[in-house]
Amino acid sequence: MMIGARQPNLAINLRIRYAVVMKAGKASGDAAERGDAAPMRSPVNWALLGLVIERPSYAYDLAQRFERRYGETLPLSNVGHIYTALGVLDGRALVEEIPGTREGRQPKPHYRATALGLKRYGEWLIGQVGEDRRRNQLFVLALGALTNEPEQLRAVMAGYEQACLAEGIRTPIAGAQETGVDNAPALLGRLGEEENRLAVGAKLAWVQYARQELKKLSGHRRPE
Amino acid sequence: MSLLELQHVHKRYADDAGERTILRGVSLQAGKGELVVVWGLRRSGRSTLLRVAAGIEPADAGTVRFDGRDLAASGERLLGEGIGYCQKTLRFADGHTALDHAMVGLLSRWVAPAKARVRALGALERAGAAHCARMTRRELSAAEAMRVSLARTLALHPRLVVVDEPVKGVELSERDPILGLLRTLADEGVTVLASTGESTGLSQADRGLVLGDGELRGAPPRELAPVLPLRRLRREASG
Repeated sequence: MMIGARQPNLAINLRIRYAVVMKAGKASGDAAERGDAAPMRSPVNWALLGLVIERPSYAYDLAQRFERRYGETLPLSNVGHIYTALGVLDGRALVEEIPGTREGRQPKPHYRATALGLKRYGEWLIGQVGEDRRRNQLFVLALGALTNEPEQLRAVMAGYEQACLAEGIRTPIAGAQETGVDNAPALLGRLGEEENRLAVGAKLAWVQYARQELKKLSGHRRPE
Repeated sequence: MSLLELQHVHKRYADDAGERTILRGVSLQAGKGELVVVWGLRRSGRSTLLRVAAGIEPADAGTVRFDGRDLAASGERLLGEGIGYCQKTLRFADGHTALDHAMVGLLSRWVAPAKARVRALGALERAGAAHCARMTRRELSAAEAMRVSLARTLALHPRLVVVDEPVKGVELSERDPILGLLRTLADEGVTVLASTGESTGLSQADRGLVLGDGELRGAPPRELAPVLPLRRLRREASG
């Protein structure tokens, strides 16, 4: 999606949509205040909240920053998604409009994070550990479907191991200019790669462990 | 043709606890200018594999060939004459400098001291350790020690560099430049076989392999990769 290459009417359409979603967001915000709102799961919403925390701004600028920051990591289906997300955040009192920014010939309401938004954002980041656990459990449970097909299970384990190796190999090596702590975007990139590298190592170690355990299991099984 | 070729290599060790099989029929090929990294857990036998590949230890069974020559027949003559080996820990006598260390291999091959010094300085520079020339072992960081170790190897102009855990103990900011150095060597046509206990060491390798339970697993070299038909499920096959 190229935000900069939008059509002229798009801005008007987006403003209309913005008004609608803000109203919808307010409604869900009432539920949030009552404490019966469902947990906010959309990674787009959380990523957008992060951008608002980083620097208060207006919707269109946030959409552009979103694309620059997250790009292929978190692709947007369309730019309207940002307006919807902003409405949800506003509704949940995680962001608020900065007074006085809606005035003028071309009103651009700016948003900033609330104290609640900052608190919830931190909690969501920490909660990612639980998300990883859930994903890992899902993988192992799905793998369990092959326990009666040992040959297929071994092939999948071998394929998984090779995929981990390929992922490890794919990790770029940082150039000297990328390692400085004063280069924030490069540092963020490196930290992301580093987490991936370490995760690959953990997965490779897990495959060794799982192989040993599955070997024991097959050893205990009586031949049919 | 592969520069390094291990075929069905077996290796066992016996100690008080009994006999332990380290390598079970391991086969491995590495072509010219290829960077191959073997990942394995602690005590998986990755260092043994590298020592066998470098001709430092003989295989109990199977063959190890370098440039078509059987290492069992050639013995340690190929070590230093085409094969360079960098071990995990760098040892050199107290009072000696990194330059002295980089010259040792040359001097032991009767290269004249003045010429050996020039070649060693060149190797230190190539390994990014020119600034370490006058340093003693105690003054070197883990990354610098690895660079000096590589320089000693490179001074002999090897075609195959076998390096055991090049980034072990190396601090984060120095790790990627070491990996980059290995990548550069491979790009210059030197075959590099490295081991790693951390997945970090796999970065930008041409091929990654896993050593576990004495078996080596992973993708074969592209030219040797067999085209396997998709295997049908057992029930489908029997039905």
